[in-house]
Amino acid sequence: MRKQNKTEKKGRIMWAFIYIFAFIAAFGGSIAFKMKHDPFGGEFKVNWNDSVGKAYTDIAYGEGEANQFDIYVPADDSRSSYGLVVYLHAGGFTSGDKSGDAEMLQWLCSKGYVTAGINYTLASNDNPDANVYTQSIEIKESIPYVIAEATKLGYPIDEMAIAGGSAGCCLALLYAYRDAETSPVPIKMVFGAVGPSSFYPEDWKCYGFDIGSEESDAAARIMFGTMAGKELLSDFGTPEYDEEIKDISALLWVSKNSPPTLLAYGKYDKVQPYEGSQRLLKALEDNQVPHDYYLCEHSGHGLQNDNKVYGEYTRKILEYLDTYMPIK
Amino acid sequence: MTLIQKRILILIIVIAMAAVLGRLVFRAVMNLLLGGTLFGGNFL
Repeated sequence: MRKQNKTEKKGRIMWAFIYIFAFIAAFGGSIAFKMKHDPFGGEFKVNWNDSVGKAYTDIAYGEGEANQFDIYVPADDSRSSYGLVVYLHAGGFTSGDKSGDAEMLQWLCSKGYVTAGINYTLASNDNPDANVYTQSIEIKESIPYVIAEATKLGYPIDEMAIAGGSAGCCLALLYAYRDAETSPVPIKMVFGAVGPSSFYPEDWKCYGFDIGSEESDAAARIMFGTMAGKELLSDFGTPEYDEEIKDISALLWVSKNSPPTLLAYGKYDKVQPYEGSQRLLKALEDNQVPHDYYLCEHSGHGLQNDNKVYGEYTRKILEYLDTYMPIK
Repeated sequence: MTLIQKRILILIIVIAMAAVLGRLVFRAVMNLLLGGTLFGGNFL
């Protein structure tokens, strides 16, 4: 009897360990699966090889260490002209690299476009003078180099689209709305996700700037001033403030001539405000700029909880390219 | 139901709960970092 009890006890202990192990394995496994799983089943990826296209990396466009771009050209080099799609990387203006967008650039290249990812000098202790404005100027200066390189490789560019994610989206919008007139080729469209385009403290609730106290206004002034690379002296909400911040606020450059715009934002974004995207949406509507705006109702800055909407947005990119920059 | 069948049933329940919890925790952490809600959107 005592021996049977001992065996049962041993069995219970063994099963307790099995339950604990199974719990840990399933818990960790499900996290790993969630991290690695592609919810789109490879729809927005391509198996990159010479039959699809070729990549040329780290081509210089300026003096700075970061002034480099990667260019992806399609295998078919028989056409007389090509559309260029530039995709600018994310990273809060302080981190990130063009290589992080290789998948997107390869996928768009596989559709017949020349694509390019461009690095810009990131704001850091090593580069204290870098800010959103200087980064936007670097992008502006890089485009002729990208076009020249594509032409040198046998892919003459006659039109372009510019795009990006987060910080890259901010820079893409600036180029599309502010610098289009200086572009060597017409900008046919712009697309991007979660890019800040306006800098009004009442919108930036995620940073507590909406409180309207002296401290919150001062904090907003410091942050926006750092981004713009200048001291902001005017009162918020005045035309003088708009003039000061205009260098980095794509919203303030929207006009009837702005290119068709495709956007995606997250309603719960904690990194840049959803409210700012509503201002941009209104400006596009007011100026009758062709646009589509995808709102991820449950997501934040990563658009991570709305795969269905994100998938629709990404499919819409191809629709936009077919409409505004079709393969000739 | 024999004892072993009961234990296997419990094991399956433990694995299912851990898998669901793992995905929920991951989503909660992402929401904490980036913003987002646990209610609605993608399943888990």
